[in-house]
Amino acid sequence: MKIELRTVINGREVEASVKPNQTLLEWLRDDLRLRGSREGCGVGVCGSCTVLVDGRPVSSCLMLATNADGKEIQTIEGLAKGDELDAVQQAFLDQQAFQCGYCTSGMIMAAKALLISNPTPTEDEVRDYLSGNICRCGTYQEVMAAIRTLAEKNLANR
Amino acid sequence: MSASPVENCMTALGENYSRVDGPAKLRGWAQFTADIEMAGMVYAKVLRSTYPHARLLRVDASKAVELPGVVAVLTRDDLKGINSHFGPVVKDQPVVALDRVRYVGDIIAAVAAEEKDCAEEALELIEVEYEPLPAVFDLRAAMKADAPVIHADRVKAQSFPAKSGFRLETGGNVLSMYHVDDGDVDAGFRESDEIFEDTYSSQKIQHAHIEPHAALAYWEPSGKLVIYSSTQNPSLVRAQLAELFNLSQSKVRLIVPYVGGGYGAKTHPRLEPLTASLARKAHRPVQWVLSREEVFLTAHCQAAIVRIKTGVKRDGRIVARQVEAAYDIGAYALTSTNTGRNGGEVSGGPYRIAHQDLTTYCVYTNTPPTGPYRGFGVPQVCWAYESQMDDIARRLGIDPLELRLKNLVEEGDRFVTGDELVSVGISDCLKRAAEAVGWQSKQEQQDRELRGKMRGKGLAVMIKTTMTPSNSSALVRLNADGSAVLLTSSVELGQGTQTSLAQIVAEELGIVPERVSVTFPDTDVTPFDQSTSSSRTIFTMGSAARQAAGQIKQQLMEIGANVLEANIEDLELREGNLQVKGAPEKRRTISQLFQAHYGAAVGSMAGSYDNQTRGGIDPKTGKGKASAFFFLSACAAEVEVDSETGKVKIERIVSAVDAGKAVNPRQCHMQNEGSMIMSLGSALFEEMVFDNGQPINATFLEYMPPSMEDHPKRFGSVLVETPHPEGPYGAKGVGEAALGPVEPAIGNAIANALSGLRIKDLPIRPDRILKAVQSTKEESQ
Repeated sequence: MKIELRTVINGREVEASVKPNQTLLEWLRDDLRLRGSREGCGVGVCGSCTVLVDGRPVSSCLMLATNADGKEIQTIEGLAKGDELDAVQQAFLDQQAFQCGYCTSGMIMAAKALLISNPTPTEDEVRDYLSGNICRCGTYQEVMAAIRTLAEKNLANR
Repeated sequence: MSASPVENCMTALGENYSRVDGPAKLRGWAQFTADIEMAGMVYAKVLRSTYPHARLLRVDASKAVELPGVVAVLTRDDLKGINSHFGPVVKDQPVVALDRVRYVGDIIAAVAAEEKDCAEEALELIEVEYEPLPAVFDLRAAMKADAPVIHADRVKAQSFPAKSGFRLETGGNVLSMYHVDDGDVDAGFRESDEIFEDTYSSQKIQHAHIEPHAALAYWEPSGKLVIYSSTQNPSLVRAQLAELFNLSQSKVRLIVPYVGGGYGAKTHPRLEPLTASLARKAHRPVQWVLSREEVFLTAHCQAAIVRIKTGVKRDGRIVARQVEAAYDIGAYALTSTNTGRNGGEVSGGPYRIAHQDLTTYCVYTNTPPTGPYRGFGVPQVCWAYESQMDDIARRLGIDPLELRLKNLVEEGDRFVTGDELVSVGISDCLKRAAEAVGWQSKQEQQDRELRGKMRGKGLAVMIKTTMTPSNSSALVRLNADGSAVLLTSSVELGQGTQTSLAQIVAEELGIVPERVSVTFPDTDVTPFDQSTSSSRTIFTMGSAARQAAGQIKQQLMEIGANVLEANIEDLELREGNLQVKGAPEKRRTISQLFQAHYGAAVGSMAGSYDNQTRGGIDPKTGKGKASAFFFLSACAAEVEVDSETGKVKIERIVSAVDAGKAVNPRQCHMQNEGSMIMSLGSALFEEMVFDNGQPINATFLEYMPPSMEDHPKRFGSVLVETPHPEGPYGAKGVGEAALGPVEPAIGNAIANALSGLRIKDLPIRPDRILKAVQSTKEESQ
């Protein structure tokens, strides 16, 4: 049995039929071949599979693909515009806020979501918001620095 | 500081050069093994034992084979008459279980199917009949004479090293032992004014690399095996697969894309033997990706019990030390034998001690297999000797910093293994770490009452060896446009090796690192490398890359000497040109040198170098040359302890490591920071828990590595640079340096906050602190 769904993924309308038990992550990776979202834990706690659903961060390993019907999904692949990196990606690059890179897509998407909801987060707010994104390489200091530079820019532009 | 081998014309070296893997990783394009897809690919799932120890009476996959969508099922029946076991030191692990299973999670059968769901469904159709056997989970119990024996045989692998340092034991569950001594430890204890005797323990820890293990295997019709794998040592996995399948090494090809963290868990065969066996039976490419729960069942860090006895003079000089440690290596050994030796060699610590007697054992238990874990056996013993060091300081009334400085090894000292110590910046590391947390003598030792929230500071130092002997080969090709390619089997697993190796090649050839491309490992193309582990890459592969590039440099110099009519020693390579020193107007581009040499700006020039760090340890004496270089590091921590709740807050923590020469300082700092965070988890809360062999917390819901909320607000990394004469430009590895000293530095800070109250078992959970505080109160009443 398959279920029809319509979504917008990275700005592009997508119509598809998915298995009822297929997670959003499986659908993105296996069917749409968007493999920037990674599976780390499968239980929604490590954050590596974080995508934005209607602008909010979601662990795509926990959400069923069918629940994406009518919603707008943004994945890591949709952030950069051609050669131009998204501001969050650029800040991560400037601060070298990654090591093995496996958690990085999810970390960037969560950071993106944070800055959408709170453009000038304090360090404590950053820690709280990103506590669900685990980086075993321990790159937290650089990630915090990247978000700080963005928060400072947002504050200056207010 | 000793004479520096560091040259003065460096441009690419010592710079925070931006990582070459940045754009791919930040855009989500970086390809990991699980991202690779092949035409006709099918998916593997495995059936695992639910018993910790049992005889397998029946394994019947006939119903599973019939399920539509199932392409192949692998059981013990497929291993009849062929090599069934693998392992880098002893061949103790079967591809799938034969007559018995040895831990909850041991693999009994594997299914390859068109869809993942179908493979899962097929597993449920496999019928297994067990006859439970007595099992043993506790390290001490497993060492007893009447304990159930987990492995009766000790079959050495072809790769078994001659100078392994350890001895294989027969019978029982003790697989191996390592022993070394110096002086006369009994005489030493008689000479001592005070004797300290303690037992410390470390827990089982998960590597928790966020990328689960993955492999994709297929057989070419010619009979060649091709595997993509998330492995840290493709060259050795190739050798072991060739041994398993009776193939020449040239008929096994390992390709390693980006690896999402390893920390030791992805060394040696893991998924490859089964994936390859299943692919052979399926006649299709087979992909096997572990779930997180399965990662917990595949590898972890050895728990250990360490008994340590130390004799000191009243002035604080350590006279004698005896250590006896046992490592719980789980159901399959992998290289835990080497881990035990590695811990044993340095279990006396980085101190000058005339009388030492050090012994370690590696013991099988019915728990998941262990394997190398960042620190490779050293954190377990460092936890013991550095915790005890503060108890010694306290009883003798000597400042812990002063006590350590009084006993630390120095340049040129002879280590217990017989090595001469060179590039010894440990005192600097300790002083700089102590300074960074505002260490003040004497008053830090003052007692505090057991009430409310209390603060304390603690220090610790560490010494560790690196894998020796070991081989790394590098191949550099210079193109006619002045760009270069480094062919290497070093794995990019987050440490930034592609970037730092590019910097070394660029430095040698006088070009910018942007012009150097570094390959991913592909054993058909890239030369041998022992392993991307033991923090050996910058030292061993870095030297190979430098030498290989140096051969090309020499060739360019010879061509240029003719063209420019100059002596070779007057020439230098800078910014893509070969020029006369002091007269840069007399120069040629690399392209022009190709033109002069080949008559056209075409072709390539190649340099290759096979580097071996020599040494090894005699198993009889425990001595020899243990290490090509020694890691030396220190940590200082300040904590706040809430004695009402037992909660510990890290106020600040600083780790200092001797990098020799930091090729890319930012990357060195990041690896050091990463080690600190990792250790902070195992110091305070991480622990794999089992109930009669059943894993209790094998998910990230119950076992959580440190998050950003656990990251201390005041957190620092210090690099000391004491150049090593054999490291490229003086460089040494730094990737594991903080793994030893962080736990005892935190433990010492807690003890300092709580009037010397000592927690001897890791992790230092709140309940352990409360219990200790309670028992102290009861004693004083």
